[in-house]
Amino acid sequence: MTGFYIALIFFVTGMFLVAVTLLFSRLLQTKKPSPDKYLTYECGELPQGGAWIRFNNRFYIIALIFIIFDVEIVFMFPWAVVYGKIGLLAFVEMFIFIVVLLVGLAYVWANGDLQWVKPRPKLEHLPKAKGK
Amino acid sequence: MTASEILKMMPLIIVLATPLITMLIIALHRNHLTTMIVSVIGLVLAIIAIPYSKALDLTKIGELLIIDNYALFYFLLIFTATIAIIIPSYPYLEMRFKGNREEYYLLILTATLGSSVLAASTHFVSFFLGLEILSVSLYALISYLRQTNEGIEAGLKYLILAAVSSAFLVFGMALIYSQTGKMEFNALMQFFSNSSKLNLISIVGLVLMIVGFGFKLAVVPFHTWSPDVYEGAPAPVSAFIASVSKGGILALLFRFFSQYDVLNSKPLFLIFALLAVFSMFGGNFLALLQTNVKRLLAYSSIAHFGYILVAFLAGNNAQNFKGVEAATFYIVSYFITIIGAFIVVGIFSTREREAMSVSDYRGLYWRHPWLSVAFSAMLFSLAGIPLTAGFIGKYYVLASGIDNQLWTLVIILIVNSALGVYYYLRIVVEMFSQPEEAAETKHPSPSVGVMTGLILAVLTIALIWLGVYPTGVIGAIKISVMGL
Repeated sequence: MTGFYIALIFFVTGMFLVAVTLLFSRLLQTKKPSPDKYLTYECGELPQGGAWIRFNNRFYIIALIFIIFDVEIVFMFPWAVVYGKIGLLAFVEMFIFIVVLLVGLAYVWANGDLQWVKPRPKLEHLPKAKGK
Repeated sequence: MTASEILKMMPLIIVLATPLITMLIIALHRNHLTTMIVSVIGLVLAIIAIPYSKALDLTKIGELLIIDNYALFYFLLIFTATIAIIIPSYPYLEMRFKGNREEYYLLILTATLGSSVLAASTHFVSFFLGLEILSVSLYALISYLRQTNEGIEAGLKYLILAAVSSAFLVFGMALIYSQTGKMEFNALMQFFSNSSKLNLISIVGLVLMIVGFGFKLAVVPFHTWSPDVYEGAPAPVSAFIASVSKGGILALLFRFFSQYDVLNSKPLFLIFALLAVFSMFGGNFLALLQTNVKRLLAYSSIAHFGYILVAFLAGNNAQNFKGVEAATFYIVSYFITIIGAFIVVGIFSTREREAMSVSDYRGLYWRHPWLSVAFSAMLFSLAGIPLTAGFIGKYYVLASGIDNQLWTLVIILIVNSALGVYYYLRIVVEMFSQPEEAAETKHPSPSVGVMTGLILAVLTIALIWLGVYPTGVIGAIKISVMGL
């Protein structure tokens, strides 16, 4: 029996267990719907309208900047595991890695992408509005 | 990692550091000219580091990279080509783009890094990382002129197709790894040379990888993206895709199969031969129909990669690398020509649009004699007319094919060269014919900057120099290919 069969059995068993649990709760539960129960759960706050709205595209920039440091952490976990074995070299390499990311941060900062209220960009490459 | 290993990697490290420094400079002081100069300086420093790197004895850097003479030769080629592309980009962007122009250079530099990593990789991991660095930079570069619809369209098409082809490539790698447990090219080729161990899964893996290679090189069944992308991308970026990006992948293809006797392995030979034949015929026949210069160059590039595949088939280790040698020379001459041709297209672009239609070039000789002579030289070289580098390259490819009795492929190559002459010469004829009176006012004469003119002159002289006296370059290629 190779590794893939073990994985298959694991998968099937997992599906089965979930299905059984759901089935039991279906059989045992009592149904008393009230409007409050159908509210979207937002960490205990009362929801303020639907989620399908147009939201500010400045969030995209924030999300992109977040990625820089998100990925950094992903790489730091394995680094921390082998740090003891490799020693100084690992320290220097991680230092270089972080410096590279910090350059990215500096670039973003200097471009004013960290500010929520940005000065209006010069949009000279767009056609001018009519009537002006 | 020891100090000498770091020294050996110096060209790569400099190319890696340049975009970072450029980024800091942009953050401190945004200026188009400064950015361009800094990136050129970085590339020049990387070129200066190449001889020092060559002097060091060790070649293997860990398991991922190998920096031998072959890799260094391609570094030199890629860096020089990038400089030749960056400098004409400056007036081009000044004219056609009004947003932030500086990031263009960052993207070009990271793409160059990706391409040179490909030339030096001996392992699936470095292969894939290099390829992704290259492709991700190209996605943004292709749609850099984001006020144009064609630019966005081309970028999106490239994004989707490059992602799909990467998926093929990675799945192929995964299948091969599942059978061999190895990711190093040499070990893999030992596995594939031993036919008793081959099974369905490993063969499927190899074929999927060839599909991936085919997409990136735009050879015929996988070529459909390339005309649209060449058309929509800014002219310097089209030059970059045609030269640096494909050159890096070819370098990797040669290295990947360097220890494998493709010529004497039936199925693999058949696959590559079919790709070559389809590309030659497909590229040339489709180019015959084109009236758009950029699409024409895209189709001609498909045909040229068909020619290169003939040389690739004609030999690696088992044939003393004669074929790889010929292909590498062909790539050098192709780099010079295609970059030159796209520079000319860039020069003729106006604020509103690029000079894409063949009729834009009508009567060019009477307005810009030198420019049209340079462009004619490029087109002659693409057609493979004697006294140009393209001729020697084609001759070399033919010779390597004849050495190995690949008669069918050689005859098809000759037929296709004749086909190609027609559409290249059509542009030349158009340039030298009398302009209509009305056209004079329609095409305002472009101004050629000093640096752009210089680059174009150097490329033209290199083209003819290689066509007359190719010995020096051939010697360098021989040495570099030897240790593959």
